Amino acid sequence: MNGSNGRSLKERMASNDKAFVDTGHLFGLDKLTRKETDPGTYEAVWHILSNLCNAAWSVGCKVSSSPIAAEGGDALWALHTPTGEAICVSRGITAHPGLLADMIKHFIELDYEEYPGFHQGDIFENNDPHHGGIHAPDFDMCMPLFYGDELVAWASCVSHVSDCGSVTPGSIGFLNPDCYSDGICISMEKVGEGDRFYPWYENRIRSRTRTPDWVMGDARGRLAGCLTIREKLTEVIDKYGLDFFRDATKEYVEDSRRYAVGRVKSQTVPGRIRKSQFKDLAMKGKRILLGKQDIDCHFNLPMELVIDKHAAVHINLRGASGTVPFGQNISPVALESGLLMGYSHIIGFDMFNSGPKAAWKVEPPPSGSWANPFEKDFTASSGVAWAPAIMWLSSLYEVFGRLFQMRGFVEEMAAGAATTMTAEFAGMNQQNMYVAGLTLEQASNGSPARGFADGENSAWCLYTPNADFGNAEISELYYPILFLGRNIEPDSAGFGRFRGGLGHTAVWMIHGTTGIEYQCGCAGMRSKVVANHGMYGAYPSVPDRPGYASDTNVKQLIDAQQPLIHDRGDPEKPALSDIVTAREMHTTMIAPFVTPEPLHDYDIIVHPISGAQSMGDPIDRSVAAIEDDLNKGWVRRRVAEQIHGVVIAKAERDEFELDVAATEKRRQAIRAERKKKAIPFKQWWAKEKQKVAAREGMDPAVCTMWRTSMDLSPGYGAELRRFWNLPEGFTF
Amino acid sequence: MAQFVKEDIAKLMDGALPWPAVQDMMKSPKDPDRFDKYVEILQERVSWKEQILLPLTPKLFIVAKAGQRIVKCTCGHEFGDYRCNWKLESLVNVRDDEASISEIYPGRDMPDPAWVQIREYICAGCGSFLEIEAVPRGCPPDFEFLPDLDAFYSEWLGRPLPDAAEFKDLTLAKIAEWSK
Repeated sequence: MNGSNGRSLKERMASNDKAFVDTGHLFGLDKLTRKETDPGTYEAVWHILSNLCNAAWSVGCKVSSSPIAAEGGDALWALHTPTGEAICVSRGITAHPGLLADMIKHFIELDYEEYPGFHQGDIFENNDPHHGGIHAPDFDMCMPLFYGDELVAWASCVSHVSDCGSVTPGSIGFLNPDCYSDGICISMEKVGEGDRFYPWYENRIRSRTRTPDWVMGDARGRLAGCLTIREKLTEVIDKYGLDFFRDATKEYVEDSRRYAVGRVKSQTVPGRIRKSQFKDLAMKGKRILLGKQDIDCHFNLPMELVIDKHAAVHINLRGASGTVPFGQNISPVALESGLLMGYSHIIGFDMFNSGPKAAWKVEPPPSGSWANPFEKDFTASSGVAWAPAIMWLSSLYEVFGRLFQMRGFVEEMAAGAATTMTAEFAGMNQQNMYVAGLTLEQASNGSPARGFADGENSAWCLYTPNADFGNAEISELYYPILFLGRNIEPDSAGFGRFRGGLGHTAVWMIHGTTGIEYQCGCAGMRSKVVANHGMYGAYPSVPDRPGYASDTNVKQLIDAQQPLIHDRGDPEKPALSDIVTAREMHTTMIAPFVTPEPLHDYDIIVHPISGAQSMGDPIDRSVAAIEDDLNKGWVRRRVAEQIHGVVIAKAERDEFELDVAATEKRRQAIRAERKKKAIPFKQWWAKEKQKVAAREGMDPAVCTMWRTSMDLSPGYGAELRRFWNLPEGFTF
Repeated sequence: MAQFVKEDIAKLMDGALPWPAVQDMMKSPKDPDRFDKYVEILQERVSWKEQILLPLTPKLFIVAKAGQRIVKCTCGHEFGDYRCNWKLESLVNVRDDEASISEIYPGRDMPDPAWVQIREYICAGCGSFLEIEAVPRGCPPDFEFLPDLDAFYSEWLGRPLPDAAEFKDLTLAKIAEWSK
């Protein structure tokens, strides 16, 4: 029997929705029959299908051209049910399965089945945030897969192209003032048939992107991966039968939903969780595109979860601040896809697919906020929509880490994530070829502290489990840079009992160009502030502060065989200004920014990649761990002594021994000193409320943020006023 | 279902369980008695006798005391009703100027005090840092978790608590009292 029973995909989608409402089970599956009757085959086919997606990732990335996909693997392939639900996904940029699933559903909702129809070999794409895309450089593709005459599945893919023709070169469009500057727009289009792209698709790419060979190469990579899925899927269905495939693929999605619900119930606690979070975007006085951008912005990224007695998770963003005239606004569809990724790391990781989306309910974010821009500002830019969303998601790690702790599942705990500050280059490279694209440094942060151990250094990334910053030598082939350093950065994680994994610092010397722009981008970074991730009394990790120097004496240093710069140096004695002299010297830039003038040979960039967040009081950190960090050069002496409260017994050259007894004594003194210095909260509140009312010492960007948060979420505003005893109608 | 002995869970909490054993815990189906064993370990480690109902953080607990449910520190210091943000009963040290912030984040690493203040919430009993917040002025302190304790015990653990308390945030009621 045909899986459609003569119904259109749209009718099947409506039927699935109704079945879920009626039964509480996806597709109305109150029993997982295939799983129960033949668990071995059920499990085996799951792994075959997953590996089929991973095979597509390997093939697709190899066919791709840009360093982002070919070297960094910044792409993803997935397999979907006929009605769009993701069944399984490859490795890669895991923020996207939700988007890809929604895209397929959207094609069905728009009656594309009727016109232009779905046929074997058709290629459909979208990158338009107004239709559920996240930002223009992420090209989302899907192809219907037929077995005989029946549409039995979809293959999908996303790859992050190096340039999408936005107003500034590259793919991290934080400077875009509106959607009209976001670049090439593919709005729910059929872009090919018969396994080939239409010629006019390629013409458009060649007319409207700066690196068309790479962009088309990546398109062919997407196609190659989808065809890999199609070819192998036919073999799977031949072997296991179409009936089994139809049944099991639906069961995998429902199974995943059940897993997420079960995990919440068995490992968390019902109640209300709140986590404030903020990020800055300070652009005043910098190189901008339009006058309205000569401002500093602050984002309110609040997270509230209510876990009810049925283990359903209700999520809201009440208090989210308003849209910004930059590329940092995200559609709710894209935000929820990001949430699915976070969930896949923390809760629903047994089978990563669309299932967990049915285990939560997200309240529509405040209309007119960065998280729901288009209803009130259709022209809002989403050039790098991911930026605020990823920082909001960081809170998810901490709040679930707290819940796991309460139930005793210490092995599952995590603190907050590191940040994502990107480096892009645009200009002529050493082969006299125009390039615009990302390095992959940001894809290898420190990992969050765990409940039982430190995080790992340079081995984790929120948005891709690959956590691969690529080979330095390959980056040097694409871009006119030479690595002078790529070192673990001491003290780059938070300070706590368990330390977040450390980040690293890349030091680049420009080499072989007639001029290149360095774009230090915000794909989710903080530069004015630190994260609100002081979990259990840890200090959050340091702000993102890059540096660069142009018109330097580095060639003279090389000719004279003098020491060069290889790392960042002490925060109070930066290596850049200590070793190098230059006409333009910036050791402490507030990111993001684009260099006002192109950089040239022997100019230097110091680009730090952040470490992750920590947990616990820093004076509870074990003496042995601090001694180890000192001896590896991972903690500076100042932090060890003043923040962790250790006493160094011996320090010869770079070898340290700590005095355990004296450390304990010093730590007791620190505890006593803290009590002496601190005041009762009530006393602080009484003075602080006056300062709040007077907006004392508050940057205008902070006041604007609060004003929009309170306007867009009146209940949130009322609660804030009541807390500080502010009059009705008070606004910042 | 997996079973883990209390000694291993205690070592895990102390960061002393060997990595292969931690991996085993991560990979195994979760042990349904973990909560009870965890609470037993915590109860054995504190010097006071009140029953721990829920470990709120590694140092703070919701305990049953004389018909009330209150927040209590490992050291014995008490913070009042669990439905009111315990931070209101803590000591606080706020770093909101360059001098105080640069003690932690000097030079290149100093955040801007016009954008963020660092709030250290300190136990008046033992002087521990209980939480640290980094938020702009005007942000009410996060009430990280208000548990629905009765739903947890009755619906999830299947053993209702002897008394019940309304699932309600009492923080603003205390603020209203302070404002009189």
